[in-house]
Amino acid sequence: MQAKTIALFMALILTAGALQFHYDTQVEYFAERQAFVTLPDGKTLKVLSFGYRNLVADFLFIWAIQFYSATHITNRFDYIENIFDVITDLNPRFKAPYLVGSWIMGLEGGRYRMAIRLLEKGARNNPEEWIFEYDAGFYAYRDLKDLELAEKLFKQAAERPNAPPLIRRKWAHMVYMQDNLDYAFRLWKEIERSADDQLSRDSAFHHLYQIDFERDKQLLKRAIGEFRRRFGRNPAELAELRVRGILKEIPRDYQGRDYRYDPESGTIKARRNYKWKSSY
Amino acid sequence: MKILAIARNTFREAVRNKVFYLLLFFGVFFAFSSRFVSMLSVGDQQKVLMDVGLASIHFFSVLVAIFTGINLVYKEIEKKTIYNILSKPITRLEFVLGKFTGLALTLLVALASMALLFFLFLFVTTGSFAPRCLIFFGLLYIELLIITSLSLVFSSFSTPILSSIFTVTLYLVGQVLWTFQEFKTRLHEPFSRYVATALYYLLPNLDKFNVKNEVVMEMELSGGRLLAAAAYGVVYVAALLTLAVVIFRRRELN
Amino acid sequence: MMAAIEIQGLEKSYPSTFGTRRIPVLRGINLTVEPGQIYGFLGPNGAGKTTTIKCMLGLLRPDRGNIRLLGRDSNSLESRRHLGFLPENPYFYEYLTIRELLGFTGRLFGMSPAERKRRVEEVLRQVGLWGREETKLGKCSKGMIQRAGLAQALVQDPEVLILDEPFSGLDPVGRKELRDLVLSLKHSGRTIFFSSHILQDMELMVDRVAIIINGRLVREGHLDELISRSVRHYELVVEGVDEKAAARAGLSGERRDNRTIIRVETLEEVNSKIRAVQSVSGRIAAMIPVKLTLEDIFMREVGK
Ligand SMILES: Nc1ncnc2c1ncn2[C@@H]1O[C@H](COP(=O)(O)OP(=O)(O)OP(=O)(O)O)[C@@H](O)[C@H]1O
Ligand SMILES: [Mg+2]
Repeated sequence: MQAKTIALFMALILTAGALQFHYDTQVEYFAERQAFVTLPDGKTLKVLSFGYRNLVADFLFIWAIQFYSATHITNRFDYIENIFDVITDLNPRFKAPYLVGSWIMGLEGGRYRMAIRLLEKGARNNPEEWIFEYDAGFYAYRDLKDLELAEKLFKQAAERPNAPPLIRRKWAHMVYMQDNLDYAFRLWKEIERSADDQLSRDSAFHHLYQIDFERDKQLLKRAIGEFRRRFGRNPAELAELRVRGILKEIPRDYQGRDYRYDPESGTIKARRNYKWKSSY
Repeated sequence: MKILAIARNTFREAVRNKVFYLLLFFGVFFAFSSRFVSMLSVGDQQKVLMDVGLASIHFFSVLVAIFTGINLVYKEIEKKTIYNILSKPITRLEFVLGKFTGLALTLLVALASMALLFFLFLFVTTGSFAPRCLIFFGLLYIELLIITSLSLVFSSFSTPILSSIFTVTLYLVGQVLWTFQEFKTRLHEPFSRYVATALYYLLPNLDKFNVKNEVVMEMELSGGRLLAAAAYGVVYVAALLTLAVVIFRRRELN
Repeated sequence: MMAAIEIQGLEKSYPSTFGTRRIPVLRGINLTVEPGQIYGFLGPNGAGKTTTIKCMLGLLRPDRGNIRLLGRDSNSLESRRHLGFLPENPYFYEYLTIRELLGFTGRLFGMSPAERKRRVEEVLRQVGLWGREETKLGKCSKGMIQRAGLAQALVQDPEVLILDEPFSGLDPVGRKELRDLVLSLKHSGRTIFFSSHILQDMELMVDRVAIIINGRLVREGHLDELISRSVRHYELVVEGVDEKAAARAGLSGERRDNRTIIRVETLEEVNSKIRAVQSVSGRIAAMIPVKLTLEDIFMREVGK
């Protein structure tokens, strides 16, 4: 009798499984769901989750990860800011949601400003962390091409405790990229001074060399222009600029060597050239 | 008839229990408090009213199901009142079915009274009657029967504390089991995929009974879907009861 | 004639705390209870009485052996139809009244409403709860619970009653009432099997006794047989012999008025003492065999 009952149980549970299978064909789990419409804001959820704020945050987070990797739901980004806002309101010190949320917003959803807002919130709530502003700066630079914003973010990241030297370099690089050459030069000098690894030193040297070159180039360009206005031709060599009293001194490159001058076109070339900016 | 005697007795014991009324009271209380919550919100007050009301009824009726299920079955074994039944010409099958019928009746009364008060309240405050909520109550009842059967299975071999933990855990898992569908596609190792698939089809999948949103937002609910959900519930309950009988037959009563 | 209860080679063990081995509790019980008997099941705490009874009711599964109740295997449902059972320390649904409990029990036997009503009233009177049947079981005293338990065992008027420690919790009046009830049930042809520690109560009513110790039956038999086969000593009451003459004839004993009471251990000795009395022209006024009580037997077996 027991064997028959067990067989009956098996038959029933298999039937239940089959019905489940059938049911799944009738329901589109994600599309039909309008769950976010009713997702309360973080403050309300904090109250509603009673003592289990972190747990609720975890659940929401895990759920969000599942949901946002369901690529077939096209409108899935409509509420993403709200959702991650709630998650990070519930547990502001839970770091993964800021990072993962911003990946999803940015890399998958192409919403980089939103991603940066989330990361800035992460930085506000976790002042000891540099990673949020670093990531944000990265999005600003690489994806938004907003050098000013990237500079601001890298600067803030660099000023967090324990920020790795890389971030200072990114910051200084942003300053350089905006042609803020004197400021960039000072920053890189500072980096060179405090560098304790070869990479930093090399990087600082390359930048200093390039910045120095770009400043000299501007100076020389102006001087050559002046020369041409007065004499109707390019100087035959750079020394002529001094001889004619246009420049007090002919600038040399960062290593003290002469720049190469082409009298034909009137252009200056350095021995080294770093093509960070496409125009150089 | 013997099944009915046991059912009647179970029902009688349940409704004479103070905790039963306490839970019922809270369910009704929270349903009513939706009035105040809805006053805090802007705009669609009826929606909030229904949201909070249905959620409280859901929550407290699940509590009633877990509480009465475990309490009544386990107590019977723990306090040895079960000797008085099984020393009579009663099979273990009759015992399980009797207990289940009694609990089902208790839940029906609990849910029906909460639902009735909810409709009354809704009518008095908004002047409208939302018959679609009946769909939710119907499916909720099936969900409650699954929970009761789960508690029957667990208390047929375990202590009440463990049984409550198991039942609550399975209930929570059952609520989010649908995410397994997505989760599965993320597992690359074949073995864990098999396990996930097996769990998906074996564990109680309770999401389909939760149509609160669909009901409140007046979203489409196809008859086929409701029918499949109901059929699933009935078959699952039958499976659990069979399992409870299998375990109970093996069990010695010390 | 078919035996009311027949137990053959019953063995039962429980798993040890960690389930690593099994601890034997019953080690081969054989006993037969004839219909119409009052059968006492006696044993110290932990001897295995309750375990035996639970096996009879199918609440526990024996490791070995079989049990027949009124000729039916104890695993069958039918065997329980004509069985009344009072568990040890019974406990009932707190929320029911005594009457509701009995009604419920009647339903479990599938009794018709009219029959139920009649029987409930009858057993309420039998166990002395008449007039108190509306009390909630949660509010009953221990003695009332015990009586209610007895009442529910009697509802379907069973052929065989199995009572585990029916006397526990009863006051002297209650014990007397219970004895009378059991005796009257016996007179109407019922079989009663019960376990107890209270030897006086047993001695006053049982036909047969089994003594179980450590999972084995060490004594089993008719109460009379057990007791008469176990004469402890004899007392000779001698008259017409003065103290000095008695002393001379070796008839020393306790002196009361003009009688001497002599304690004699064996029948041989009885004969030789009688001859000695005659030799001093004395007269035997009485010879009393002093029997063992159940308690003596019990204490002796437990002491072994
Ligand atoms: N569930 C159990 N698990 C393990 N051992 C048990 C269990 N139930 C009983 N025992 C053991 O079996 C033995 C017999 O127990 P049983 O209850 O049959 O004794 P009893 O003769 O009825 O004693 P009492 O006079 O105290 O009622 C005892 O040693 C007890 O410890
Ligand atoms: Mg006992």
